[in-house]
Amino acid sequence: MDAITGLMNGFSVALQPQNLIWCFVGTFLGTAIGVLPGIGPALTIALLLPVTVYIEPTAAFIMFAGIFYGAMYGGSTTSILLNTPGESGSMMTALEGNKMARKGRGAAALCTAAIGSFVAGTIGTLGITFLAPPIAELAFIFKPQDYFALMLLAFLSVSVVMGTSKVRGFIALFLGLSLGVIGIDKQTGLQRLTFDVPDLMDGVEMTVVLVSLFAIGETLYVASRFGFQKPNLNPLAGGIWMTKEDWKRSWKPWLRGTLFGFPIGALPAGGAEIPTFLSYTVERNLTKHPEEFGHGAIEGVAGPEAANNAAAAGVLVPLLTLGLPTSATAAILLAAFQNYGLQPGPLLFINSADLVWGLIASLYVGNLMLLILNLPLAGLWVRLLFIPRPYLYAGILIFSLVGIWGVSNSWVDLAMMFGVGLLGYAMRVYDFPIAPVLIGLILGPMAEVQMRRALAVGQGDPLVFVSTPLSAVLVAISVLIVIVPAMLHWRRTRKIDMPDEAAGV
Amino acid sequence: MTERPYWIAAGTVGWGAIVLWKAAELPQFDQYAHVGPGFMPSAVGLGLVLLGLMLALQIRRGVSFEEQSAEDVSEDHHVSYTALGLVALACALPMLTMKPLGFVITCAGCFVLIAAAFKSRRWYLDIVIGLGFALLCWWLFRKLGVQLGGLLPMMGV
Repeated sequence: MDAITGLMNGFSVALQPQNLIWCFVGTFLGTAIGVLPGIGPALTIALLLPVTVYIEPTAAFIMFAGIFYGAMYGGSTTSILLNTPGESGSMMTALEGNKMARKGRGAAALCTAAIGSFVAGTIGTLGITFLAPPIAELAFIFKPQDYFALMLLAFLSVSVVMGTSKVRGFIALFLGLSLGVIGIDKQTGLQRLTFDVPDLMDGVEMTVVLVSLFAIGETLYVASRFGFQKPNLNPLAGGIWMTKEDWKRSWKPWLRGTLFGFPIGALPAGGAEIPTFLSYTVERNLTKHPEEFGHGAIEGVAGPEAANNAAAAGVLVPLLTLGLPTSATAAILLAAFQNYGLQPGPLLFINSADLVWGLIASLYVGNLMLLILNLPLAGLWVRLLFIPRPYLYAGILIFSLVGIWGVSNSWVDLAMMFGVGLLGYAMRVYDFPIAPVLIGLILGPMAEVQMRRALAVGQGDPLVFVSTPLSAVLVAISVLIVIVPAMLHWRRTRKIDMPDEAAGV
Repeated sequence: MTERPYWIAAGTVGWGAIVLWKAAELPQFDQYAHVGPGFMPSAVGLGLVLLGLMLALQIRRGVSFEEQSAEDVSEDHHVSYTALGLVALACALPMLTMKPLGFVITCAGCFVLIAAAFKSRRWYLDIVIGLGFALLCWWLFRKLGVQLGGLLPMMGV
């Protein structure tokens, strides 16, 4: 099925009245929960997973599409109005957006963020529409070693890119990998690291780890360092909408941000930090009003926000076509697919064409809904920021318990919530990145399967991992990702310090 | 921070050692796939041990650990261990009470503890809101088909 027919089919699914309602519910809940402090897109989807348990898969994924973009947008609202980016992708938005809000231009900042998100989301979805099918076709000729090399690249880049320290990034990754090997080995039926606990035979539940790391860890962290200043804002008071001048200054950054965001997001090494940062730097250099940067320049909101959303859309390309999650949000979406017994990848486009194309079509619909929903409802979202913090965080814990206890009513999961929650707290205090844990947990077992397959095909010869051109290139890139920064660091420290001080990794 | 948290490195090495020890009980290689079920855990355990040692080396060299920023966090990152303890208690509570007392009472208890950690002083109101919210969640998610157990398992309800 080519992209156009597929998309048309998708729209016929997505535009059915009950699916439109699910999409609306998704965007609404996604924005509402995304606005709440401490809850980013990944956690929003994880907390809403139990809601969708008994909805049929197509409707559930249509809802996820809404939640996905809704949570992204909700996050930017908090960054602009409170200067508190919930995730790394909206850090650049907060920089200029909050300055604008303080100057009484909050409405214009929200507006350019909303329209920028819409533009980027729509172009990004167009990219998915036309890129995903050919990549999925390509994936059919992928051999196990190609998959393995791809996953290796994802592992290494996630650990190197995220966070400040590579050692800490790799520790986070290996923690996730070690949680991933728990359970019965599918090839031999032997128990691995189950410590004879029957509840662990099925492996560690992704939802439990994600909710504990994000929600429980965050609650522990915020409670212990709680400092709530009542948000001193009235964004819609001094708020003129975007003026003609604002439009003129915004549209180019939107497009440039999208151009940075989508391709980088679609790479296995992607993420939202690099494109948002790039977009901010470029806008800063190109602007005709350099004096405004640092004091609330609208280009500094429009560009990074578009880049952030386009990167989020780009992440869906490897997820849908190769089953390869490259962000925490994508990892939880993959877990949601697996909950329904679906495996994202090339076969998904054939076996569940209605679902995939319905999902893609819903991305368009959800994006449009968000624009319609957010511009007039900004005042309502702002009010959510005033929920008393004791009740907000207590409510988050109850929601987490629904997610964790509802999975399998297992005491072990509750113990895991406590343990992993404390881990999440320590990771925040000592600045370990969290996403690599989830990527390791979910991709680790998949990488192992591909590795064993490749070795079985290659009759045990380790050279099988570089036996195809693609796998050789990917392995080479993976090696470079680790070696090059280490070398640069080594040369830098050698110039400054004693030579023996420089084992820098 | 001038603190030197060697315990994180020790914890990483320790967990790596446990993984290695459990992996050693499994066959590392096999006839068909050449790599047995023990290979991956061994590799991961070894990786953790090595990374833990590298972290220890970095800590010895005085690497700095900056706390992550988050919403609602005070700017000087002043730590209240009472609040931390209360939240930890709230997270441990379900292990004790979920089976005998059920979802609703457990959640109400957690709600009150967390509210107290965030310096809420209105105990009665917290209990009422907590019970109400827990009951609402329990009822709503049961309607949606999520199994959350009985209302009061001890009394067989």
